[in-house]
Amino acid sequence: MNKYVIKRIGLAIVTLIVISLITFFAMNAIPGGPFDSEKATSPEVKAVLEKRYNLDKPVVEQYFIYMKNLLHGDWGVSIKTGRDIWQTMSSSFAVSAKLGGMALAISVVFGVVLGSIAALMRNKWPDRLIVFFTTLMTAMPSFVLATLLLYVFCIKLGWIPVWSATSHNYLLPVISLALYPMAYITRLTKTSMLDALGQDYVRTARAKGVSQKKVIFKHTLRNALIPVVTYVGPEIAYIITGSMVVENIFTIGGLGQKFVTSIYNRDYTMIMATTMFLAIIMVVANLLTDIAYKCIDPRINLE
Amino acid sequence: MKKKIVSAMMIAAMAASMFTGCGSSASSESTTSTTAGEASTEGSVSTSDGSTLRINLASEPTYLDPALNSTMDGGALASNSFVGLFMFDEDSNPVPALCDSYTVSDDGLTYTFTLKDGLKWSDGSDLTAADFEYSWKRAADPQTAADYSYLFDVFAKDGDVINVKAEGNTLTAVLAAPCPYFLQLCAFPIFMPVPQAAVEAADPDGTNPGAWCSEAGFVSNGAYVCTEWKHNESMVYEKNPYFYDADNVKVERLEFMLSADDTATFSAYNAGDLDFIEEVPNDEIASVINNEDFHVDEQLGNYYVAFNVNDAMFDGMSAEDAATLRHALGILIDRDYIVENIGQTGQKVATAFVPEGMSDGNGGIFREDDYDYPDADSKGYFSAEYDFEAAKAEATELLESIGYKFNDDGTLSDENPISVEYLINENTGHQAIAEAIQSDWSSIGVDVTIKTEEWDTFLNDRKAGAFSVAREGWVADYDDPINMLEIFTSDSGNNDPQLGKNPENSATLEWSAYDELINQARTTTDFSARVDLLHQAEDMLMDTWAVVPIYYYNDLYMCKSNISGVYNTKFGTKYFMYASID
Repeated sequence: MNKYVIKRIGLAIVTLIVISLITFFAMNAIPGGPFDSEKATSPEVKAVLEKRYNLDKPVVEQYFIYMKNLLHGDWGVSIKTGRDIWQTMSSSFAVSAKLGGMALAISVVFGVVLGSIAALMRNKWPDRLIVFFTTLMTAMPSFVLATLLLYVFCIKLGWIPVWSATSHNYLLPVISLALYPMAYITRLTKTSMLDALGQDYVRTARAKGVSQKKVIFKHTLRNALIPVVTYVGPEIAYIITGSMVVENIFTIGGLGQKFVTSIYNRDYTMIMATTMFLAIIMVVANLLTDIAYKCIDPRINLE
Repeated sequence: MKKKIVSAMMIAAMAASMFTGCGSSASSESTTSTTAGEASTEGSVSTSDGSTLRINLASEPTYLDPALNSTMDGGALASNSFVGLFMFDEDSNPVPALCDSYTVSDDGLTYTFTLKDGLKWSDGSDLTAADFEYSWKRAADPQTAADYSYLFDVFAKDGDVINVKAEGNTLTAVLAAPCPYFLQLCAFPIFMPVPQAAVEAADPDGTNPGAWCSEAGFVSNGAYVCTEWKHNESMVYEKNPYFYDADNVKVERLEFMLSADDTATFSAYNAGDLDFIEEVPNDEIASVINNEDFHVDEQLGNYYVAFNVNDAMFDGMSAEDAATLRHALGILIDRDYIVENIGQTGQKVATAFVPEGMSDGNGGIFREDDYDYPDADSKGYFSAEYDFEAAKAEATELLESIGYKFNDDGTLSDENPISVEYLINENTGHQAIAEAIQSDWSSIGVDVTIKTEEWDTFLNDRKAGAFSVAREGWVADYDDPINMLEIFTSDSGNNDPQLGKNPENSATLEWSAYDELINQARTTTDFSARVDLLHQAEDMLMDTWAVVPIYYYNDLYMCKSNISGVYNTKFGTKYFMYASID
């Protein structure tokens, strides 16, 4: 296991270097620059700014300067706003992680519970209701759902303010983020649970007179969770790094919108920071997923 | 089976209680007062307790440092939290703010300002003329890299440093040439003072000049101070007790929603969570245009179409023929249709480049000057009344005069096709205008392809002249025609039509005369002659047909009907400091 983890960390470092290379050169290849605006920046001002951010140097040299600083823990400042990248990233990630964490917890708990109910009550009305609901939720894009929630709860019913500087309400954004993965997990759980319920060891357990509760929680659910863990691993990385659509609709200062705005603004340091940050989280989430497999099913050999 | 469901529901309930424990209450205060989207003429009222104004201007501001700001929303934030020697009043005239009195030398070059007594920063420290000297020199310094540093070009210089000097309570500024709009500049954000100690403490090595105000809590000198800033969510400005006119500031607190999503901000306004919004979704304009809350103000700027004079479509033509081709296409744009069906907010059809209402720098209004305009009725270059069939006939005649042949059905002959690529950035409004122009031009058989680009790529291509025809817009920074006309000098970075940028190209007009006119306007001591020079420059520009003005901009916003005292300038700067909520 340790050997496996060390090997995976080595591979992760190579992956991160490749991602940094591709991102750095791709962002420099796209037209435009961070100092473009409708009213032109004067050549003198542009020259000072380019020098300040090393953009007057060859791209390869810029890359090495950036990576050297990054290895020293210096993420730099945003070229567009002059704000410290690490401070910006950590504060916006805290918001996204809070929202994403809540959404993930809801989606996993409700997804597994509803999936189990659907499997155990197959073809009965609770199953049909759950299938209908999950089909609807997987088909509905988050921006439609978010807009709908905003319209119903904020405008029509007036229960929740659309925006408030003093008491930000995270209920609707969390629901918007949670429903799709919840529906997906419900379907996954139902399918794998049905599969597990038909296995010989479940039949044997029942024949031995093991209680229904024990059959479900010890024998069936545990085995049915492997596909769920496979899905949840990468989903963690996506959901805790925020969603631009949901953040825009509910005016949330999360990380999600920075992925997009940094590219629109050609804010090179912010593009690198958001990409590397997501890559690191993704690599860690995948590693944790593998370790979770081992915990759920000791027969899995990670070596 | 029932037991199983109950246990499952209990797990779900536990998860739900965990979640509600982490989040804020779902039933927090709601301030719903109106229903969205209902067409009504009756305004809505703010549910604020009278001490707080809730506002949306735009998304996260790039800089709050008035010297580094280059956006309109940033300008409004700066104007409500900083104040300079002058500020703009409700009629967009510069009126003394921190300046107690001033004198101008007979030659119009030396301004001596005396500051009011007892001025303070928001931390209670003294604000003196030396703060202005430092701030102006800092803003003009190329190392600060302020976008608007060129506004200090009007100053005389001692070496590389602008000629401004503080002595006691007076500030003396020496200009290179008389400048009719200098007092307006003194009200512009880049001329507002910044606290030297805070600026230098936050940026000891001079590489991050905006660092001192990148978070809430920085020192300022305006009506409000920024006390809270949740990036990309909200900002809170609270009344500055040290503001020189604090007694007249009635609203204690401004809350800004930081969002550029006009659907979200419009929803927040209708739900009563905002009292002022800067944008209304295009689809909703019809539903609010007659509402008491809806305001449309004139703005000094215009939406126009630019032809790239160096484009391959003019290859082999003489400069005159190229201008005639542009003329034919230019008059074939149905501006009335665009204004009525796409603009929708009562924009005025543009008949010239310098907008209506702009001063002439000599005490008059430029468009109302006694000048020999090509179209005397509109005091512009073409009629404000549009007749598409007449325009089509005239365009055909113009094209025939430079050798184009037409089929019997009035479309261009296959012998001499015209293909044009019209460049826009991603935006439904620009797309609709592009489609209208495409339809107009196709009426005589011109093949128009609309090319849509992402914002930064679009800017880059337009500045580099990598386009045939592009949508353009310009809003003046100050009320003087030179601000509209100097963007077309040969060395200007904003000269997107590329006038004078490639003198070798025989299809482009000799442009040094235009540069000379602008240069003379910048340096002349005779303001009356200056007005004439600027009219001549506009004549010359319009004769090229490289720019085709479509409409003069206006500025719309919504404000609750029980709020008074909020005002807007012709440059789009909103002042909230004298607002009151009834």
